[in-house]
Amino acid sequence: MLKYTIRRLLLLIPTMFFVAVIVFFLAHAAPGSPFDAKALGDRSLPLATIERLERLYGVNKPVTEQFVLYLSNVARFEFGNSFQSGRAVTDVIGDGFPVSAQLGVQALLVALALALPLGVVSALKQNTMIDYGSLFFATIGTTIPSFVIGIFAIYLFGVTFHVFPFVGWSTPMHWVLPTVILALGPMAFLTRITRASMLEAIRQDYVRTARAKGLREQVVIVTHVMKNAMIPIATIVGPATAGLITGSIIIEGLFSIPGIGRLFLQSILRRDYPLIMATYLLYALLISLANLTVDLVYGMLDPRIKMAK
Amino acid sequence: MATITTTPGKTAADRASELNVLVRKQRSLWQDAWYRLIRNKAAVVGMIVVVLFMLVAITIPFLTQAGLFKDPLLQDTPNQLMEPFWTNSKYKNINYPLGSDQLGRDILSRLLWSTQISMLVGFVPVSIIFLMGVTIGLVAGYYGGWVDNILMRITDVIYAFPDLLFLFIIMATLRNTAIGDIQGGLLLIFVAIAIVNWVGLARLVRGQVLSLKEREFVEAARAIGAPARRIMARHVFPNLLAPVIVSVAFGIPNAMLAEAVLSFYGIGIKPPTPSWGVMINEGFTVFSTTAWPVLMPAMLISIVMLAFTFLGDGLRDALDPRMKL
Repeated sequence: MLKYTIRRLLLLIPTMFFVAVIVFFLAHAAPGSPFDAKALGDRSLPLATIERLERLYGVNKPVTEQFVLYLSNVARFEFGNSFQSGRAVTDVIGDGFPVSAQLGVQALLVALALALPLGVVSALKQNTMIDYGSLFFATIGTTIPSFVIGIFAIYLFGVTFHVFPFVGWSTPMHWVLPTVILALGPMAFLTRITRASMLEAIRQDYVRTARAKGLREQVVIVTHVMKNAMIPIATIVGPATAGLITGSIIIEGLFSIPGIGRLFLQSILRRDYPLIMATYLLYALLISLANLTVDLVYGMLDPRIKMAK
Repeated sequence: MATITTTPGKTAADRASELNVLVRKQRSLWQDAWYRLIRNKAAVVGMIVVVLFMLVAITIPFLTQAGLFKDPLLQDTPNQLMEPFWTNSKYKNINYPLGSDQLGRDILSRLLWSTQISMLVGFVPVSIIFLMGVTIGLVAGYYGGWVDNILMRITDVIYAFPDLLFLFIIMATLRNTAIGDIQGGLLLIFVAIAIVNWVGLARLVRGQVLSLKEREFVEAARAIGAPARRIMARHVFPNLLAPVIVSVAFGIPNAMLAEAVLSFYGIGIKPPTPSWGVMINEGFTVFSTTAWPVLMPAMLISIVMLAFTFLGDGLRDALDPRMKL
């Protein structure tokens, strides 16, 4: 187990390296300069200033040379300064990260808190109105993209009824809409998985045995069915995390939330190379770690799975 | 068709049952799947909606030319921000049944034209993905070796990127190059979506091949000396088609959605070409005045996404009754 974990952690290094290669060279492949009018929006700078800025940030050098320089800086945990604000990238991300993390964790908690009971109940009451209701909800939630639901929600709760504010992240009232909308997708998906894996577990022989030896229904459901049904559920927390990350970019853009997702969008549009690199590396690291965690948890929950390979 | 003869000298009932056996048509597995699909009401509704949108996408240029719909780019400033015909607003004009946007362009016509873009973005990249994914997956799974190794390493890296992040960087940097200008950015979107998504399908195919090639019928084919190419084409490929079709059916709406998201953030289709994302993006500039320019494309996206999901779910149930979620 420990050996496996170390192996997987070491494999992170080449993965992150290739992520860095792809993003760095793709980002630098764009024509023009990060300081010309297209990248900066409306401001256009005199040519001499652009050249001075390019020299200052070293973007006039050959791309390979820049990349080697960047890698050696990253090895010393220096991620450079943002082209837009001139602040250290680590500071900029440090400002945005708590907001995004809060949004993501809130959404994950909401999703789990609602999806698990909903899935369990709909499996126990299969083919009743409750079941159909939750299946209907799950289909809508997995099918209609969060940014479309977000638009409807803004229109309904923000513009028409003025229940919730929908610009920014300043008060807890601002948290409601983005959190719920970000949670909807994973919640619907989790509900489906929970229901399916409960139904699968209910039909197992050991459940019949448990009933046959006269255990109370509650005990059968909780200790025999639910315990085994949780295994497949645990495995999708990894993809769900990846989904939350992409989802948060869209939601942060839609609701103007000052998190990493919005930084990411801005950095891409403004060609802020140090910020682009840092956000991509951060996202790739988070997703890889989430996948690793899931694999480890999976191995612990289900002893039949060997940590080979 | 051969004539049906029955054994003479038997009772009428026996002859009838004999006839019955002979007359019943044989059904292939695919026909079976088709019957299962059309018995699924939701899938049929989904299929009808999808076909309808495909028809719209194909015929809209002719319908516009014939004068049935307005030019989607035609600006009519006096008639800007008209509301749909069923609202009580006094700002409405029967010539603009679903209203008009901030430049006085007809929303109905723009929606129909955006269907064309979406169908292209849905089907073209998915065809590329299908060809690449199946070929590479087959080779990697059947022969193993360096192709397999490279595929698995690429997968490791791609899996560390969520799809959308990869799309963002490709689109953001290449959209201002020559390739990004072709067809208002459409070609670049095709390529980008294909590059990002072929790996998933290749992996799926590879997994299927790995399990199929251990099966008895493949072993039997090898035993009678069938060449690898024939085994792959005649024995392995038809058997892995079912999960591939399901994956492709879900890939189409995902590609459409990706285009909408990219265009919404201004790095997809270039305005003024109407697409879902472009319309929502432009609509948000007047959102506080009227929400219809945003709500209309949002509703259309919902309908199309639901249709494809129903169809995809139906296909999955029909093609492999064991594969249940």
